[in-house]
Amino acid sequence: MSTPTPLFRGTNLVKEFRTGSSNPLGRAKTFRAVDEVSLEVHRGETLALVGESGSGKSTTARLVARLMDPTHGTLEFEGADVTRAKGADLREFRGAVQVIFQDPYSSLNPKHTVERLVTAPLVYQGRKIPGGARAFTRELMERVGLNPMHSERYASQFSGGQAQRIGIARALAVSPKLVICDEAVSALDVSVQAQVINLLRDLQADEGFGYLFIAHDLAVVRQIATRVAVMSQGAIVETGSRDDIFERPTHEYTTTLLRAVPRINPEWDRRRRQAEASRGASVATAASGDEAGR
Amino acid sequence: MTDDVNKNSSPLLSVRDLTVSFRTAQGPVRVVRNLDFDVPRGGALGIVGESGSGKSMTSLSIMGLLPKGGTATGSVRFDGTELLGLAEREMRGVRGDRIAMIFQDPLSSLNPYYKVGTQIAEAYLSHRSGVSRKQARSVAIEAMERVHIRDAARRVDHYPHQFSGGMRQRIMIAMALSMEPDLIIADEPTTALDVTVQAQILDLLSEIRQETGAGLILITHDLAVVSEVTDEIVVMREGVAVERGQVEQVFSDPQADYTRRLLDAVPRIDDEIGLMRTTDILIPSERRSVR
Repeated sequence: MSTPTPLFRGTNLVKEFRTGSSNPLGRAKTFRAVDEVSLEVHRGETLALVGESGSGKSTTARLVARLMDPTHGTLEFEGADVTRAKGADLREFRGAVQVIFQDPYSSLNPKHTVERLVTAPLVYQGRKIPGGARAFTRELMERVGLNPMHSERYASQFSGGQAQRIGIARALAVSPKLVICDEAVSALDVSVQAQVINLLRDLQADEGFGYLFIAHDLAVVRQIATRVAVMSQGAIVETGSRDDIFERPTHEYTTTLLRAVPRINPEWDRRRRQAEASRGASVATAASGDEAGR
Repeated sequence: MTDDVNKNSSPLLSVRDLTVSFRTAQGPVRVVRNLDFDVPRGGALGIVGESGSGKSMTSLSIMGLLPKGGTATGSVRFDGTELLGLAEREMRGVRGDRIAMIFQDPLSSLNPYYKVGTQIAEAYLSHRSGVSRKQARSVAIEAMERVHIRDAARRVDHYPHQFSGGMRQRIMIAMALSMEPDLIIADEPTTALDVTVQAQILDLLSEIRQETGAGLILITHDLAVVSEVTDEIVVMREGVAVERGQVEQVFSDPQADYTRRLLDAVPRIDDEIGLMRTTDILIPSERRSVR
């Protein structure tokens, strides 16, 4: 785990926003949304940033993606300082770091076809589209589990889960090394959510990207994270391996957060799986072949 | 629970063969089909389903609040009165008064221009004749105290934006409570809230149920929430109840294939990793499923 240079390292990141001061001559007040946050993401791992609304997790994600500049602190990508990168360096960084947002419909231009949406990052970066736009789009659509014949459709013609797959395909187009998922599965129905989580996991296994996974849903985080950082009021209050955070939390806030998560009685789950196992034994192969389909 | 039901034989709410349809250019679309369920007096029923399952339309049809173009057929009997086809004037005596509703987004249910106390009092005044404003105001303060808003006597004069999301939801609950309803319908009441606040609101709903003996219908997409709060559950999919029963029974031995698959897909916080299974059968291909 402790590779010498992490894929991404943020050190003492601070983001302050000015808040309206009623007196123009008075001192401007500032609000510290991100307060001395340091984090690392390694190749092939998922760092989950969890916290409640207003904890600063999304602002942190924006700083990491350079969608916003930090007030203080440094950002390093593969060992190089990218805090103030400009021009060609910034473009290179943008090609290596992609973001998947919460609401697929609002992050996909409704007037563009899938082909145009998916190839847009390459076009903006002035890169050649390998194999031509059509073939390239179809290949990506297949990789994220969409029907490649639908490359001429618009986002509104897809279901929420499918639209989120388009967002993922778009992120993959530039072969990124770091993918930031900002509540990427939060708006999806539970069955669709499970599929998208599995897709994200499979893609990581194939490509070895690092994920910075921003989420408020701790159950989802438990299923996808390698390490977890817990944020509260702009600061990281606790960080550790997934199992440490979920099984041996040390910070009081983490404990409170975990205790608040509604849960299905594990005993009911156990009985259900038992019942299902005995049912499955009698139905045998037909059902399992069906399930292996996805 | 069965004992309680027997004490007073007729259920508080009895829904039979409820069908909700909308006229569209392509002909009528039935979004709820042949739904049956009961809410016993003091009982709590959970209606769960994914987006498009018809769970919200079910609650709106009980309240007589279906959007334009929607019609409900079948029977909705509330404490002996048939609600379907009830004149709007009489419906007003039921809605908000005897059946209260709590929605997902408290901010859009509250008027930003009026003090919260005024809004609670207004709701109360509109249902109770011969009550003075002063009395209504003290009802509002009392209701705010009951939902544990500290310093209610002062907070009653604050505007909605001066409250956090969880506090606003408490105000909506206070508004519902001030009428002393027999049935509370809560439609995704905690979906927009942080997890710690959600836990508080769910506790509050349970506490109120114990104190007042009101029945509860909790509509949600969250199976874990339902499993903690309600006694019985109806699982809906595309307008149809695919399963119903006691919560424990449905969660530990689901009969419908859909329920099983849904339970498989729910990520667990205290479970082994990788048990989450998925299946395409759950999503009709071209349906938008973002909430």
